[in-house]
Amino acid sequence: MYGIVKGLLQLPGRVLLKQPARWKLDTTNMYDKLKFEFTEQNLCRAKEMLTNYGEKEQRGALLPLLDLAQRQYGWLPITAIKAVADMLKVDHFEAFEVASFYTMFRMRPEGKFRLMVCTSTPCFLRGSDVVLNTCKEVLNLNENETSSDMQFTLRTVCCYGACANAPVLGVNDDIYEDLTVPAVEDILSCLKNDVIPPAGPRAGRFCSEPVSGPTTLLCPPTPPGYCMQELCKPKKKC
Amino acid sequence: MIRAPLVKALGALGSPTHQIASRAVRTSAVVAQTPAKAPEKIEVFVDDIPVKVLPGTTVLQAAAEIGVEIPRFCYHERLAIAGNCRMCLVEVEKSPKPVAACAMPVMKGWRIKTNSDLTRKAREGVMEFLLMNHPLDCPICDQGGECDLQDQAMAFGSDRSRFTDINYTGKRAVEDKDIGPLVKTVMTRCIHCTRCVRFASEVAGVDDLGTTGRGNDMQIGTYVEKLFLTELSGNVIDLCPVGALTNKPYSFVARPWEIRKVSSIDVLDAVGSNIVVSTRTNEVLRILPRENDDVNEEWLADKSRFACDGLKRQRLVAPMVRMPNGELQAVEWEGALIAVAKALKNAGGQIAGVAGQLADVEAMVALKDLVNRLGGENLVTEQDFIKGSGIDVRSSYLLNSSIAGLATTDAVLLVGTNPRYEAPLVNTRLRKAFMHNEMQLASIGPNIDLSYEHKNLGADASLIKDVCSGSHEFSKVLEGAKKPAIIIGADLLARPDGAAIHATISEYCQKLKKADWNPFNVLHNSASQVGAFDVGYQPGLQRMLQNQPKVLFLLNADSGKLTRDQLPKDCFVVYIGSHGDNGASIADAVLPGAAYTEKQGIYVNTEGRAQQTLPGVSPPGMAREDWKILRALSEIVGKPLAYDTLDELRSRLDDIAPHLTRLGELVPASNSEASPQTTPNKSISGGAIDVKLKELRDYFMTDAISRASPTMAKCISAVNKQQRQNEEAKQSAAI
Amino acid sequence: MAGREVVKRAVQQVRPILSVNREEARKRALNLYKAWYRQIPYIVMDYDIPMSVEQCRAKLREQFIKNRSVTDIRVIDMLVIKVCPILPLLFIKETQLMNIQLLLQGQMELKESVEIWKQKGHIMRYWKESQDPKPTDFLSKFIQGIN
Repeated sequence: MYGIVKGLLQLPGRVLLKQPARWKLDTTNMYDKLKFEFTEQNLCRAKEMLTNYGEKEQRGALLPLLDLAQRQYGWLPITAIKAVADMLKVDHFEAFEVASFYTMFRMRPEGKFRLMVCTSTPCFLRGSDVVLNTCKEVLNLNENETSSDMQFTLRTVCCYGACANAPVLGVNDDIYEDLTVPAVEDILSCLKNDVIPPAGPRAGRFCSEPVSGPTTLLCPPTPPGYCMQELCKPKKKC
Repeated sequence: MIRAPLVKALGALGSPTHQIASRAVRTSAVVAQTPAKAPEKIEVFVDDIPVKVLPGTTVLQAAAEIGVEIPRFCYHERLAIAGNCRMCLVEVEKSPKPVAACAMPVMKGWRIKTNSDLTRKAREGVMEFLLMNHPLDCPICDQGGECDLQDQAMAFGSDRSRFTDINYTGKRAVEDKDIGPLVKTVMTRCIHCTRCVRFASEVAGVDDLGTTGRGNDMQIGTYVEKLFLTELSGNVIDLCPVGALTNKPYSFVARPWEIRKVSSIDVLDAVGSNIVVSTRTNEVLRILPRENDDVNEEWLADKSRFACDGLKRQRLVAPMVRMPNGELQAVEWEGALIAVAKALKNAGGQIAGVAGQLADVEAMVALKDLVNRLGGENLVTEQDFIKGSGIDVRSSYLLNSSIAGLATTDAVLLVGTNPRYEAPLVNTRLRKAFMHNEMQLASIGPNIDLSYEHKNLGADASLIKDVCSGSHEFSKVLEGAKKPAIIIGADLLARPDGAAIHATISEYCQKLKKADWNPFNVLHNSASQVGAFDVGYQPGLQRMLQNQPKVLFLLNADSGKLTRDQLPKDCFVVYIGSHGDNGASIADAVLPGAAYTEKQGIYVNTEGRAQQTLPGVSPPGMAREDWKILRALSEIVGKPLAYDTLDELRSRLDDIAPHLTRLGELVPASNSEASPQTTPNKSISGGAIDVKLKELRDYFMTDAISRASPTMAKCISAVNKQQRQNEEAKQSAAI
Repeated sequence: MAGREVVKRAVQQVRPILSVNREEARKRALNLYKAWYRQIPYIVMDYDIPMSVEQCRAKLREQFIKNRSVTDIRVIDMLVIKVCPILPLLFIKETQLMNIQLLLQGQMELKESVEIWKQKGHIMRYWKESQDPKPTDFLSKFIQGIN
């Protein structure tokens, strides 16, 4: 009996408590003390965005403006969310609700290059685990960690929608496709030198066409109505 | 989640989908919103029973019309529709998936099946998911026995679970939040119905509560550590369908099946909210609101709900007489009554009575009869009001538009009042008018936070004249409105120029008057005031003091306005009341009375509705019902009052004013009654108008019961603490 | 003739329970009275009742006096033997000693009391009538706190 109880106690605890929630604000951080103001250029952009929305639907601009703020600051401190909320005259909490809901808003500081390795099924079948391990080894980082020089953050994500070009690695807004270990190493070494390599497939193709050349549409397509003549004829009555 | 302001914005556009969305909110929230032309009713079938409903009615409402109850967690009649709990899924014929009944408007000829296999399966599935992440701690949960989740799991849930925690990873766990001294949170139990969030933003008008995160990480709470402090916070306890938000002072006190419930009336403000007093073993445990659409809907202000622990503290339990050495000493009833009777005999008719905030009509009538029989006529209320003949006409001191009527107004002027703290449930009506009726509100007085937008015209009293003469720009708004209302604070009329203000405004209201609408309103803050005027008390202590009384009765008069120095030296002060507060401290004889949970007494609320309290417990110690004390005293003095029982006293009330015994009915002051004809001889002197209750901290302690309540003291310290923290944060930000 | 026989038969049918004449019944009653009288101090002690020995003896006397008017020998015997929770006994008045019935409080009651088969409340029940009657007028109801 004792053994069972002891065994239970040794089992891993609540998995969900391992990490604080993404949006969780510690009392130690000073996110509400950071100054945030839109730059003049971004202010112009914001005003331009607001013109897309009717006078009574200004709050619709919440997502674009939060994104703008994030692009300016690198991540979203509370003060930035408040600034956006004030701009649109919505409650602070409502803006915060939105920011905490979408995972693309970052509520705490992250590295300059955010590496996102896709680990969904097609990528995994094409070796995303190898890509992830390469990233870990080269950068000496674990998943969800940020390097101490605030250059790199390593994450796993689920599906970029580029399954034809698996495996895939996202760096900030760009996607690198058709990866192999040397390709990943090459990309990472470029990034380490602050050079952003050209995005896209690395298997020598232009897009998501077959690597071995086109397999369909080899001749001009048939005209509309091809093979349909039979159906157009009036049916005989029985 | 749909929030009302959003819906309001959408509704203005007039596209069909928006109209549906906004109507969904409106039908649920505002009853009085009848379209100009009633649209044709459409027929739907609920469980094959035909029912005709207006277009835009939801499936859930249509089912409710024929008495079919669809289980729900997030849906609430008085809140916006969220549709996020999915418990109300029902099958609709020819629909591929079950639909959420609370959010789906019916279409013509729909066949809704509330008990089909698909419906049952959907409910069981939803329930299984809810229970998967809900702790099985019903035995230690305060909601146990009155829990929607418990009940609905029994009624609609599956009889078995597939949840096996093979890896002992534990269920979802969320840390608890400290949102104040009134509401206890156990956030792991939360099922994310967002009723509390919607209540806070729609009804209470504070946006402190919200949802953060998504999916399994979603949490309800405040986004920075902050207390949920509002005068209506207790209502989230009632709204919460599970035990996530529970009553902190009541935690682990009793189970619902142990308690006895008594329907009563709240007397801590002048709204007269309907309440249920829960008692066990002669002790008031908690107070809950009782639904009454004309008065409090189903909300209750925090003071009314949580000040009930003040009923056990500072109580007077034995009659006391002041000894020659100046100390009050407990005596038997005979001794106390004889001491008072002696003083009465020596007074020679110079007898006066003061009715305080918590006095019931019966006691006031008994006191009046006693004083009159002994040759005195000096009967006043502690709360001041206009001098002169102002109160001869009943409509001149009532909230004539009625509390429910205020929700239909479209232009309101507040003069020297802060309804948010003087009568929180009147403020929710005004807020409702603001939200759903595009009501415009302006105030004369200090700039206060009403929890919704309003225009502060300034604090100067001369503005009243400007508005009432039609020269102010807000006059045009009032005059153009279909249902305008002017609300005057009772405290304002105690000013020396109160009569002039009263006359000016009531004259202006004659102009604004509609056929079935009286825009003149006085908002009282003491529960006894209207009843006292109805039975013939005069306002103001000054009048009483001028006559130099030899014996003075204080009936629950505890406000501290009257001090010993103002009274003649030989005046014998008799205090009749429940709590040892200001009144008892200046008294020569203290006769312990019953509090409102211990007696059957009639109170008339600010709109003139007579309602009665019912005794839930018996008065502590030797305390007696107030009118019985006066009746006993009258016998000892040798002039016995003509009633021995409550029924006899009630028939006496009936003789004085028949509306007093028509309980629960609103007897409006007849429209033909003219407002006082006397033209004001005094003009409104300038000077700033002030209100007493400006901030939340002022709200919690306003009478003897709430002053004795430890919970109310905790609330005040919580508000103070929060403010200190805010100030510190501001300072550090400035640095 | 027939009438006389009927009377005779009826008289014969009335068989004595214990006592054959009044004198014997009186003696039994007196004996019971004395037995009670002697036991009272122990009863007071054993049951720890808030009554003094004198009060109890007064009550004993009162209980006997209550049945002074009983003349039927059989009834007297019955009362002596057991009967009734509240009871009887006799009245001893020196001057009328001869012609007065002495009734006895039941032996059974005595036995039950002495053996402590009863409880405190059963003993105190003898004083039940000493409670004040309920007030009827407003003022006394008020002072006693009875609605």
